[in-house]
Parts: sequence; C-alpha cells; structure tokens
Amino acid sequence: MAEVSSLRRLAARIRLNATRMVAIQGFGYLGQALSSAEIFAVLFDGGVMRPRRDRFVLSPGHYVIGLYAVAAELGLIDQNELVRYGQDGALLEAIGTERTPFVDLVCGSLGQGLSGAIGFALAARLAGEDHRTFAFISDGELEEGQTWEAAMFAAHHHLDRLTVVLDANNSQVDGPVTSVTTLEPLVAKWRDFGWHVAEVDGHDVAALSRAFTEPADPDKPRIVIARTNILGNMRAIPRTADGHFLKLDPALRQAIENEIEAALA
Amino acid sequence: MREPPYKTVLKPYGQALVELARRRPEIVCLGADLTRQTETDLFRDEIPERFINVGMAEANMIGIAGGLARVGHIVFVNTFGVFCTRRCYDQIAMSVAYPALNVKIVGFMPGLSSPGGPSHQAIEDVALMRALPNMTVVDPADATEVRQAVAAIADRPGPVYLRLKRGEIPEIFDASHRLDLEHATTVLGEGDVDACILASGMMVPAALAAARALNEHGVSTSVVNVPVIKPLDAPSVVAAAKRSRVIVTAENHTVIGGLGSAVAEALAEAGVATPMRRVGIADVFAESGSREYLFAKYGLGTRDIVESVWRALAINRPLPDIAVPAPTPGEYSPV
Repeated sequence: MAEVSSLRRLAARIRLNATRMVAIQGFGYLGQALSSAEIFAVLFDGGVMRPRRDRFVLSPGHYVIGLYAVAAELGLIDQNELVRYGQDGALLEAIGTERTPFVDLVCGSLGQGLSGAIGFALAARLAGEDHRTFAFISDGELEEGQTWEAAMFAAHHHLDRLTVVLDANNSQVDGPVTSVTTLEPLVAKWRDFGWHVAEVDGHDVAALSRAFTEPADPDKPRIVIARTNILGNMRAIPRTADGHFLKLDPALRQAIENEIEAALA
Repeated sequence: MREPPYKTVLKPYGQALVELARRRPEIVCLGADLTRQTETDLFRDEIPERFINVGMAEANMIGIAGGLARVGHIVFVNTFGVFCTRRCYDQIAMSVAYPALNVKIVGFMPGLSSPGGPSHQAIEDVALMRALPNMTVVDPADATEVRQAVAAIADRPGPVYLRLKRGEIPEIFDASHRLDLEHATTVLGEGDVDACILASGMMVPAALAAARALNEHGVSTSVVNVPVIKPLDAPSVVAAAKRSRVIVTAENHTVIGGLGSAVAEALAEAGVATPMRRVGIADVFAESGSREYLFAKYGLGTRDIVESVWRALAINRPLPDIAVPAPTPGEYSPV
C-alpha cells in the first residue's frame, strides 16, 4: 500500500488535474472530483483494487472526471487527453459512456451501477473466480429505488466479494440532498439491509484505507460510507458556490490551483 | 402446415431453454417472481445453479443481466411483457441495448392475451423495444417457432426481445418449418393476389383463417408470417405488397409502432403505393376479460381481418358471414 502522504499527494494531483480540465470550458463537474479525490486515490493506488483482476463500476457517470484525473496520474491514460475533456469528439466525455476507457462499467443514468456490479459479482461466483467487484455510487442516486432493490439482492445472496463506496457529499442538482429527500440514517439503513457498514471521513486517506481492508462481517457485502464535502473543503471556493456544477472563472481557477500547489509543496 | 383447430402443447419455451442451457454453460436464467408462469420452473429445477430469482425488481434484474452479459454470459430474462418493457425501459436502454449485450428479454402474455386488464396487457411492448437501437424483436406464431426461437436468439449476438404467449401454445407449423430471423415468409398463397395479410405472433392463425375464408369467397389472399418485427425483412414485405392489390397487417398490439407501422415505413420508403390497412388495437387501453372476449371486442378476430380486406378492396358484395369455431379444451382456434 502506498504511504498516507503519497495518497494525500495523489488526491491533490487529482484535484489539480480536474481543475485544469474544467477550466477549459469554465464550468463542469469539478465538485465531484473534489469530493471524491481521496476515494479515487485510495481505490486505485492504495492497494485496495488489484489491477486487471478486480472489477470497477462507476455508477454516477459524471464522476468520470475523477477517474480520468487519477488514471492520468497512474499512467493509464495520456496526460494530453485530459485537456480535451468534454470537447467535441474527445475520448474523455463529460459523462461516461461505453467509450470510456479502463473501467468495467460506467453508467450515466443514475441508480443503475450497483445492479451491474452485482452481475459481475454473480458471474465471478458462478465461475469460481476470486476477484472482487467495487462499485462507486453517490448519495443523490440513493433516491432511485433501484439502488435499494440491488442492496436487498446483494445481501440476500451474500455477495461478500462486493464492495461499495458511497460518496456522501450531500449534493445534487437542486441543492443539498438533505433539502430534497431525507436519506439518513444511512448507516442504519444499509446495516438493516444486511450490509457490513463502515462510515468514515471521506477526505481521510488512512481512514478510507482501513474501511476497505478491515475484516468485514462474514457473508455480507461491504459498504464504505465516505462523508465528504462537495467543495473538497477548499478555502479558495466560496461556500455558496454550486458544487454540483461549478463555475470556474480564471481568478477562481488560480486561487484553487494556488491552494492545491501549496498543499503539494 | 397444420389445419385448425390446432393441437396445443405446454411450455415449449421452458423445455427448449433447458435443453439449450444444458449444452451452453454460458446461459443464465433470471426471473422476477413469476417462475412457473414464465415456464422457467423447469430451468430452476434442472439447472438451479444458473437460475436466479431476482424478485419483483425488474430494474435491478435488467442491470444484473447487463453485468452478467458484459463478462460473457447469455442471459435470459423472464417476466410478463408489461413488466420487462414499460417498467424498466431506461434500464434496458442503458444497461442492455446501448452496450449491445447478450441479454434476451422474454416477455409473456402479449397484447390482449392477458385477462388481467391494462396493468397486465403488453399492448405497446413491440413499439417500445423496436425503438431501441441494437434490439431485435421476435413475435413467434406457434410452438414450433418458439422452440426454434430459443436457440436462434441465443446465437444472435446482442439484445433480443422475445414475445411469448403463455399457457397452451398451438402447433400451426409442421416440424419441418424453419423459423428464420432474417426473413418473413409467405405461408399461404402464391403469385399475384387480391390481398396479402402480413401477420405476427398470435395473429397468424387468425390471418390464416381469414385468408382461407376470403379464398372461398372469391378473393385470392396470401399470408406472410413476420416473426421478426425488427429488423424487418423489408425486401420480402415490399415484394409481397407489389404482388397484391391491397395489404392488411394483423398484430396483437397497438396499431402504433408495431408490425403495421414497420410495414408502412418499409412500403413508403420503397415508394410502393399498395393500399394498406392495419388490424390491431386501435390506440386504446383495453380491459379485463377472456382472450375470446377481448380479441372479439377490440378487433383482433378473423372477421376483423376479413372485413378489413373487404373494405380495402371496396368489394360491393355483402361481407360474408365467417364461421369462427368455439375453442375446445386442449385445442386452439383463433377468435
């Protein structure tokens, strides 16, 4: 496993890449990368997922910005592709599609990823393979009933090689998730649905690493509920900014880059 | 081809699926609580390790099917046609059709064959599935075609919607009949005719009965069986229309978006001006009732097809009185 300091640096690099990608058009899904930077760092470089063995599902397709940002750092895609993010004809589309590289499944219509991940987990069980399936989901898509259909199914079938990470950043298009639908108590809900639940500060790489690797209840799927901030706790961004779809003028961009680079220094 | 009333059989799909799955270990069978009703109790009992009852969660079932297919399985998804089309349309579009996965969606109780009223009557399932890129839509006419359809759709790469009557399934065609996913075939009549009836699924026996009655009353009529609504065999449809003075489509489905629409599109694009009528559900939701009652009330009977041909040809003689035999137990006759 990479050191905590190196995972922190990777998370900062993810934020920096994402800021530069979004800056080209001046708006986009930067908040999603800011909230999930540590999650992507730990998943992809924290010894959690085994490359070319475990499967990865990204349910909220607009989070691919975080995936691209980490993939470029790990040499999975060309850094030069990042600057074409979201442009007409680019490989890296703003919302994931079937063309999205190096991911086993990415969805765009929310609430569908966990079901696909269950398909992978069932296929592994049928084949007697030992690989794990990881599914990244977001809190807003818990408003979709399909997520709970899938949650019940996974527990009923004891899919203990399935791990979900939930980016609980309390952000959706219309504002804070709490202002739209009450999802809490999330820990109790998932526990009552039959899952092994770990709740952590999603910006704490050490806590995330422990949550993914600690011994789980036997025969249960695992969920790591990562409590995060849609603005990545960055001082440079006004608290009133719309985190779901951040607008990034040159001054704000510079302030964000300065804050990240200070952290990297 | 056999003569009506047709002998019926039970569970031709369920048996064919088990036989195929024994030879094809990549086949997995998913259901949503309607195991016996979708003939998959046979699969559950014979190959339990590859049978998964997802429960009443069609959206989740489609997503799971996509995941399984993405890593190499051929997944047969089974429930009533209403529930595996209307209820999970976005899931089918995004998790199955767009990635062009090997998921075979099997929807039972098409059109007004369900006594359960609008909640259970899949009257627009063909229209919905036909609109999805990559999707093949199959509406077989009888048990012989159903048995062959199972292997045919498994061999066809990509998603398929298979529309199946539930319960007693008639045997209209002999064992020598070959279901062909590429072609619509003329099953009655030949050469230039007064009328050509293009039919699919449960309307094929009614089309055959109507054609026989019309031939007896001096109107030469052919029947083209169209088991595959998409991709439509447009060349055969166009050729049939060019050899006929009028054409009538017959489908156990709303007249919007199904066989009739597909045929009209093909003819219009080919510049064929043969007058055309559509027999089907007239853009209405139906009601509860027996198949006999509903098919008669909503215009899906043999007499409706005859009348449609009669009017299209503007025949001045009175409409002949067509005898429609009452069905007897264990036999199938069109309404």
